Amino acid sequence: MIRLVPDHSARIQRSEKVPFTFDGVALMGCADENLAAALMQAGVLHLRNAPGDGAPRGAFCMMGLCQECVVFVDGQSVESCRLTVSPGLAVKSRR
Amino acid sequence: MRDIVDISIVGAGPAGATAALVVGQTECRSLLIDEQRQAGGQVWRAKDRSILSAPATPESRSGDNLRERLAASGVSQMTDTRVWQIERQGEHWVIHTLRNGTAGRLYSRAVILATGAREEAQPVRGWTTPGVIGLAGATALFKQSIRLPGRASVVAGTGPLVFFVASEIRRLGGTVAAVVTPNTRADWLARLPSMMARPDLLWRGGRWVADLMLASVPIYWGHAVKSVSGDDRVIGVTLCRLATDGTPLPGDIGIAADSVCLGGGLAPSIEAAQLAGVAVRYRPDLGGWVSEAESDGSTAREGLFLAGDSCGIRGAVAAELHGQIVARTALRHIGQASASDPALERAYRRASRFGEAMTALSVLRADPIGLATPDTVVCRCESLTRRAIEDEIESGAVSSNAVKSGQRAGMGPCGGKYCQSSVARLIALQENRALSEIAPPTPRPPIRPVPVSALAGDFDYGDLPMPKPAPL
Amino acid sequence: MSENHDIAIIGGGIMGCAAALRLASGGMAPIVLDRGDLGQGASGVNAGTLSLQIKRVRLMPYALKGHEEWARMGDAVGFRRTGGYTLAFTEREAELLTERQTLKAEAGAPIEFVTNNQVLSAEPNLTRRVLAASYCHEDGYANSSLTGQYYRGRLREASVPYRERCAVTSITRDTQGFVLHTGGPPIKARRILLAAGAWLKPVAAMLGVDLPVNARINTVSVTERMPPLFATVIGHATGLLTMKQKGNGTILIGGGWQGRGTPQEGRGEVIADSLIPNLSLAQFALPKLGQARVLRSWTGFEANVPDFYPLAGELPGVPDAFVLGCVRGGYTIGPYIGRLMGDFILGHSPEMPLFNPGRDFEKDAT
Ligand SMILES: Cc1cc2nc3c(=O)[nH]c(=O)nc-3n(C[C@H](O)[C@H](O)[C@H](O)COP(=O)(O)OP(=O)(O)OC[C@H]3O[C@@H](n4cnc5c(N)ncnc54)[C@H](O)[C@@H]3O)c2cc1C
Ligand SMILES: Cc1cc2nc3c(=O)[nH]c(=O)nc-3n(C[C@H](O)[C@H](O)[C@H](O)COP(=O)(O)OP(=O)(O)OC[C@H]3O[C@@H](n4cnc5c(N)ncnc54)[C@H](O)[C@@H]3O)c2cc1C
Ligand code: FES
Repeated sequence: MIRLVPDHSARIQRSEKVPFTFDGVALMGCADENLAAALMQAGVLHLRNAPGDGAPRGAFCMMGLCQECVVFVDGQSVESCRLTVSPGLAVKSRR
Repeated sequence: MRDIVDISIVGAGPAGATAALVVGQTECRSLLIDEQRQAGGQVWRAKDRSILSAPATPESRSGDNLRERLAASGVSQMTDTRVWQIERQGEHWVIHTLRNGTAGRLYSRAVILATGAREEAQPVRGWTTPGVIGLAGATALFKQSIRLPGRASVVAGTGPLVFFVASEIRRLGGTVAAVVTPNTRADWLARLPSMMARPDLLWRGGRWVADLMLASVPIYWGHAVKSVSGDDRVIGVTLCRLATDGTPLPGDIGIAADSVCLGGGLAPSIEAAQLAGVAVRYRPDLGGWVSEAESDGSTAREGLFLAGDSCGIRGAVAAELHGQIVARTALRHIGQASASDPALERAYRRASRFGEAMTALSVLRADPIGLATPDTVVCRCESLTRRAIEDEIESGAVSSNAVKSGQRAGMGPCGGKYCQSSVARLIALQENRALSEIAPPTPRPPIRPVPVSALAGDFDYGDLPMPKPAPL
Repeated sequence: MSENHDIAIIGGGIMGCAAALRLASGGMAPIVLDRGDLGQGASGVNAGTLSLQIKRVRLMPYALKGHEEWARMGDAVGFRRTGGYTLAFTEREAELLTERQTLKAEAGAPIEFVTNNQVLSAEPNLTRRVLAASYCHEDGYANSSLTGQYYRGRLREASVPYRERCAVTSITRDTQGFVLHTGGPPIKARRILLAAGAWLKPVAAMLGVDLPVNARINTVSVTERMPPLFATVIGHATGLLTMKQKGNGTILIGGGWQGRGTPQEGRGEVIADSLIPNLSLAQFALPKLGQARVLRSWTGFEANVPDFYPLAGELPGVPDAFVLGCVRGGYTIGPYIGRLMGDFILGHSPEMPLFNPGRDFEKDAT
């Protein structure tokens, strides 16, 4: 089939995978990759529960504004779309 | 003595960064501040360090080129630094920053705000499901992490961005389950004359569409996503056709997908300028509420200038030219000779025409709240439904501030960025008033959430400047 | 066509609305006019602290009555009686605390002094550096954001008309009373009540009266939702901190730190030089507050006259014109003093004395 837009997926080289955790569950992610992207890649989309109805929520704006992707690192809330993966990073959610 | 910068620039996108390059050619002390880790802005967002190598794209090339020019220019940059408040103190602007959990402040004679845009989204049932991300947000994922939002994505939204995102998904090896756009082919044809200003961009867009067609990706023109299904992740979407006035027509179409990219155009980021005291006006043709600024970037506030998408969505090409124009205005303000350049201004006007045509295509058609059912969440932060907001309006809350006070729509962590235009539309509909009469709520600092520990820092109790207690 | 009302109330804050309700229940036909929305002035942006420990001694009887009113309003205004601690961290503050809270207790507030250990066993997340503290079980808070919603509902129930986005720009007189000029058709009323908060001075000037009203510009901040950290209202011996955690987990921090701006300009600015010490003091009291992110800070205009006592009574020299405002702790006291004012205008003698707006402000009004 003719493609006007080539498939580049095989040509992307990434850093080595390092372990990190999400609510204690061991995950692997590329070192220095954006945390929201790494979680998405690891199949973790549900990052928190909404106040009120408790509905599951995940990253939305990807630019640090909507606060839907907020997680806790060292007790401090941070936007996962503004954080990167590092070895041993322990991410907690308020799910 | 504290350090005083001549010109500070907030936002290192095409507008802010090119402004910095112009200022950098003079003897002035300048500083370029951005909350991202590298310059580039939204359109030329830099890659994560996790990417060791990847094929270049027009965006990555432009971004790399910009970053190289900045590095070579010696312009001082403060990246990963969020501006949370701007205030006037005597002769200077004070820019309050947050970096690595620490608050700081900068004094500046002049400030150029080039804070760009944010995305608008149309609330529909299930748009809060994990796996639904913004359409522009998806481009951040592609540019920064070169990742896909899922295995099979529905790409829905307005303007050219919907085709760019679909095309990027294909380029990165993903599957586009469908492209859904409220625009019709006739809408596009009507804008063709203005797009002729940039045949290169037109050609690029044409290729995206042709590729999708060759790959038999269904393109639903004149359609919109009506609901997203799935509990803790997306399993599919329902589409509907739109009448010319934007209202949904019967005949639902179901599509299976594990992710949705959903966008409804861009809106200028006006908060920083508002806090600095710049008035706003309603310009739907430029993305909604925009800060009041002259085309040379000057505002009613002395020493405060606006550049790029933050004063109206005109796109990256226009932003880059605007940054250069505004830098000259700011230089003149601080007493540097800097002639205006008619050729530059002509080029800017040309680019603006193209950008404004794209914005026109990106603005949602009439009644963009029309797809939200009564139980659709409108305010994500507080999980407020359309019904709750309508009831509040019904009970007499007929301004954005009143709805905010009564229902907390806009009091959550996003500060109302993702619900205000919907709330305003609901008020307008119910009260039969023009959107231009329904101003956004009073802006409040901080522009971004700030940890108390960052502001308090380490201090000695005895050093707190405690005023005299109130009378007994 | 213009309308005729028994009384026009200029200002739809807590003072104007509470008075309107009493006037309506007493048989008069009032109309409430506000330049913006109801309850978007001081009454809608204040810290919502209902604390006897921060009330002025002479206003204590009014504040005690005010607390009863708030308890009656209940959930509709987010009322919670949580009890409250006032903390002192230094010797000087401890002295101030003892002196002030003793006088307040003598004035009728159920305030007791408590030990450091009592404070910490009730509120284990507070700092260990409390030197002295007092407690009042009557203290609590309400949600000031709900002021507009609440009074809109009550006025509608009582069939009291109100007009929002209706600024009074000048006032003239005719044979029957007053003519209020706004953007729209003029509004006629036999009497008027000025309840324009921090804007009382320009409004009184429309009738040729110079009221020496000044405005303070207080700062309030709120954090994101946090897990439960404390249950009571926390104050400071100097009054420079009030802090409470709402049911939804957000923490509201006030204390009267000053921002920038004037009521005339309309725009108040939060200034970092006030905000930072305000939050530092809060974090000192509650170290875990450091982990919370501030989402919003704002300012509001609080009116006062030189002696810091209320204006509540007849507008000097203008028959049938009344004024109500400049009440310290006016959110707490508003619903009660508004009722008293209503009684006064209805010709009844109020349960407690009002505060003559024609007094000599330089003398401490005793
Ligand atoms: C998520 C997103 C993706 C987009 N993708 C594309 C695209 O792929 N192609 C395209 O043609 N157009 C895209 N656009 C539109 C694009 O933003 C503009 O046309 C163009 O980038 C405008 O340039 P600018 O310099 O005015 O603003 P921007 O490029 O948006 O730059 C603004 C900069 O300001 C910074 N900033 C904002 N507020 C603060 C603050 N408080 N503190 C510190 N820094 C701050 C931001 O981090 C950003 O880098 C996108 C828009 C968004 C919102
Ligand atoms: C930030 C802050 C925190 C506070 N915290 C507390 C607290 O914790 N506890 C407590 O008890 N008290 C507190 N107070 C005090 C309390 O809020 C006030 O005393 C009280 O709300 C005053 O009510 P008001 O009705 O007189 O004024 P406002 O609520 O200001 O109402 C005046 C109204 O008049 C309207 N108006 C003005 N000019 C015109 C015109 N020309 N035409 C028509 N309408 C006009 C305005 O729009 C406004 O709505 C605080 C005050 C502030 C500002
Ligand atoms: S996804 Fe919106 S803040 Fe991270």
